[in-house]
Amino acid sequence: MNSKKSRTEGNDLPNDSPIEEHVQPNESKVKVKIDTTDTRPANGTADAILPTASSMTSNLEQEIINMIVSAYGNMIEVVYVRPSRMKIRVPPQDIVRVATFIKENFSFDHAESVAGTDYPKENQIEIVYHLSSYTDENIVPKILALSSRVNRDEPRIPSLINVFKSVEYHERETYEMVGVYFEGHPRMERFLLPEDWADIPPLRKDFRIKGR
Amino acid sequence: MASAPQKFTFGNFVASVIWLVFWILVIVTLIVLPLIFIILFYVPLPPVEGEVLTPYLFFSMMVDPSRTLPIIKSFIHTDIFRVAVFPGFMYAAIIAAATIFIERKFLAKMQLRIGPLYAGKIEGILQLIADGLKLISKEIIVPSGADKPIFWATPIAFVATAAAVVALIPVAPGWVVANVDVGLLAVFAILGFFPLFALLFSWASNSKYPFIGGLRALHQMIAFEIPFILSALSVVVLSGSLNLSEIATSQNPYWFILFLPISAFVFYISSLAELERIPFDLPEAESEIVAGWLTETSGMIYGLLQLGTYLKLYALAALFVILFLGGWSGPQIFPKELIPGYSGVQIYNAITVNAAFWFTIKTFGVIMLLLLPRGINPRIRIDILLHTGWYKLIVLSFINIFVALALVYGGIAGPGGLVQ
Amino acid sequence: MTDFQEKVDETIKMGLEIVKETEEDRLMTLSVGPQHPGSGHFRFTVKVDGDYIVYCDPDPGYVHRGEEKMSEYRNFIQNIPHLERPVIHDSNNITYSYSLAVEELVNIEVPRRGQFIRAIASELNRQVYTLYWLAIYGIFLGHSTMFMWPTGDRELFIDLLEALTGARVTHAFNIPGGVRNDMPEGFKERCLRQIAYFEKRLVEYEDIFYNNPLFRQRTEGVGTLRKEDAISLGVTGSVVRASGVPFDVRKAEPYDIYNEIDFQVQYMKSGDSFARSMIPFLDMRESCHILRQLLDKIPQAGEVRAKLQPNPKGPAGESYKRVESARGALGYYIISDGSPKPYRVKISVGSFRNMLALPFLLVGSKLGDMPSIYWSLNYWPVEADR
Repeated sequence: MNSKKSRTEGNDLPNDSPIEEHVQPNESKVKVKIDTTDTRPANGTADAILPTASSMTSNLEQEIINMIVSAYGNMIEVVYVRPSRMKIRVPPQDIVRVATFIKENFSFDHAESVAGTDYPKENQIEIVYHLSSYTDENIVPKILALSSRVNRDEPRIPSLINVFKSVEYHERETYEMVGVYFEGHPRMERFLLPEDWADIPPLRKDFRIKGR
Repeated sequence: MASAPQKFTFGNFVASVIWLVFWILVIVTLIVLPLIFIILFYVPLPPVEGEVLTPYLFFSMMVDPSRTLPIIKSFIHTDIFRVAVFPGFMYAAIIAAATIFIERKFLAKMQLRIGPLYAGKIEGILQLIADGLKLISKEIIVPSGADKPIFWATPIAFVATAAAVVALIPVAPGWVVANVDVGLLAVFAILGFFPLFALLFSWASNSKYPFIGGLRALHQMIAFEIPFILSALSVVVLSGSLNLSEIATSQNPYWFILFLPISAFVFYISSLAELERIPFDLPEAESEIVAGWLTETSGMIYGLLQLGTYLKLYALAALFVILFLGGWSGPQIFPKELIPGYSGVQIYNAITVNAAFWFTIKTFGVIMLLLLPRGINPRIRIDILLHTGWYKLIVLSFINIFVALALVYGGIAGPGGLVQ
Repeated sequence: MTDFQEKVDETIKMGLEIVKETEEDRLMTLSVGPQHPGSGHFRFTVKVDGDYIVYCDPDPGYVHRGEEKMSEYRNFIQNIPHLERPVIHDSNNITYSYSLAVEELVNIEVPRRGQFIRAIASELNRQVYTLYWLAIYGIFLGHSTMFMWPTGDRELFIDLLEALTGARVTHAFNIPGGVRNDMPEGFKERCLRQIAYFEKRLVEYEDIFYNNPLFRQRTEGVGTLRKEDAISLGVTGSVVRASGVPFDVRKAEPYDIYNEIDFQVQYMKSGDSFARSMIPFLDMRESCHILRQLLDKIPQAGEVRAKLQPNPKGPAGESYKRVESARGALGYYIISDGSPKPYRVKISVGSFRNMLALPFLLVGSKLGDMPSIYWSLNYWPVEADR
């Protein structure tokens, strides 16, 4: 019931406009502007305005996002923060670091799914990891979507298999469906598709189903 | 109908009748008549009422029913009848067929189903004939690379061996195909062939799953032969003889199951394992190894193997009855004469019929007991099976041997004891 | 040593070399393939050393039909009939999750009676699927009665669902906005009667199936999955509840009216095959309690479906919703770009996640334990392939 009442605006992905973050209705804004090519290591100094103390205690999602943002500042782009759902975007090279940080400091211990989406207009492919927890009772209902965008012409991203063991088969499926190579995965091979598949990865937008 | 129907004209009808008559005449003249004359002239026939039975006397006697009785009686006492009909192959085959049908109905009732229903007017009673016809008409597929002589010979050998075990079982006093002095030992010797057939057939099938199944069958049957023999040994201790008919008659007035309940239990479990019935049907474990060593059977080969298995079922159930349940002993419920006051030729031998009746009833009871675990239990795993066979059952059977020895030395049971 | 002696020794050594058993020779590769009575439509390769499994490699994809790609070519309502095909006999749960996600994207409010009927259909489907799973478990273990009884009792619930939705399987009942039609007359009494009979049958199941010493011997201590491994492998559903984690989406993140229903999450700590086979059985019992409460609290009258425009669409956005199906948490991640057709639909099914536990548990166990471990992971091949 809760997700229906407070449905925030999802001003997201397919457009090419500069990304805005998403806010809770009565929370203060957290404005973070991101430069995806910035590879400076996290220096702890975020140009973010932290929310006031009164809103922190009642909003675990916001707390988590703020902690991540305060640790990695420039790299993190908060896509949205909704009740029980959060999404952040990191550059592909730093995804392992951020994932390790998330796993160690909060109790996100497994990945529920890995999704790959093709954005041909922006020439990018987005990989989203949905992380959740089995151990911490407060975080059990919440899902943190850790996403990253790779270039469509050279889609390579480090694999998160050493951080979350549960992504092994999901990454293999994403590899064959959208064509993203996960570096560090022990077995990057075809999984669901038949052995004689000779076409482009099927979930790409330029793969048309015959007859439609 | 595979062929195009012919036009039905009167001329065609007359032509087909004449064709039929022609063929009947040819067959009767060339085959049947010579056969009858060969039998009547060359086979030694018994004398009837003091006269030698010539063919002409035979034909003249057919019209008078009271004069055919001696012929039938003398025929019943020949060896061929004993081997082929009773207590030999046909009797066992009919019981095996009835067992298959009863098993399907019995299991169905336990599982809240109906079982065979449509073949035959009464509750699907002709289902077995339908299955037999189906199996005969199927193509027998021999896998490539299979060892053909062994592949074809093993099912036939299997049925022959099962029939050999059946041949040693006495059904009524004096009614046994082979009255061997070491009958019990012969039964176990013949039963020792079956692991060999399982292994031969699985090897000849040239495929992975039958190979695993054959090995499992080998392990299983060998593991359970020892408690089998040991539990029968306690019976030999008590009865003092290896002859199966004598074992059956020596259980008077107390059946051996009263003295040897543990042995009966061990024998029961071992016969479940020998027959590869659930819970011991690892060699045919469907979910792991498709059908085990029976995987490559199809058509009549499968039919022969099933026939052999059910003949073995009857043989082991009958063995249980003879060893532990007193064989054919039971109250005499068939009167000596069907019609009181009739003093002509005796129509039937009351003792034999009574013995056969009680034997059949008891065998069916034991068969039902052997069919029961199929509805209750899952399949056992091979290491638990071997552990049970080699450790637990051997120990249990030894216990009962000591009990039997104690009884014999105490003079209570056994030949010359108090209870005899 | 003379020349002759040397030659003899060399020949013997050569002969021994040829006959020596290499590691590869000892192993036998079994392909438990899609056409096998022990695996459903799923292929996995197993290398066996004697009786012990040393290597296992799942190879799904036999029934891969491209559900996710097909969803991008149909609009939100048209997606329902093909999205329920991955699990035809649990179809109400897989479309429930999709409907919740679409309702969030398009901003639809589902009427209260519709939410209750949706939950009733979901619980009935859970019983149907779990009974089917129990029946196939019986076949795998060679227990024919364990196949016949659940299949027979399953007909009760299939008849109920047929009265409710019009089809025995693949109901196409849940749509974004509610359910397609209302309950028929007399459904509530009939449902309560069937549940009462079924609860008596569950007592018999426990006696004959679960208290059977042979069944216990084959499942207790077999394929033990410890809690830490279960969490790190990310398994879900009855597998993770059997390893000591009391996670049920209906309690953790209640959707629709599940926050008004009072029930307990069943979990066991041992993590072996016996626990994994006991949890769905206990879940069935809880489901009966839930059904009784649902039938009790349902509003007497009302709409069952929200009125929608043809070709509903919402603003661009994304949504991730999950539902507790009979196999675990079933999540839908839908991205919409403002058009009536979704831009991307990603289905996260419990079977795909539980597949990771299969090689983990099989390596090192006996070949005879393979069916017991494999099916206890509550793996439905068609759903994992989507």
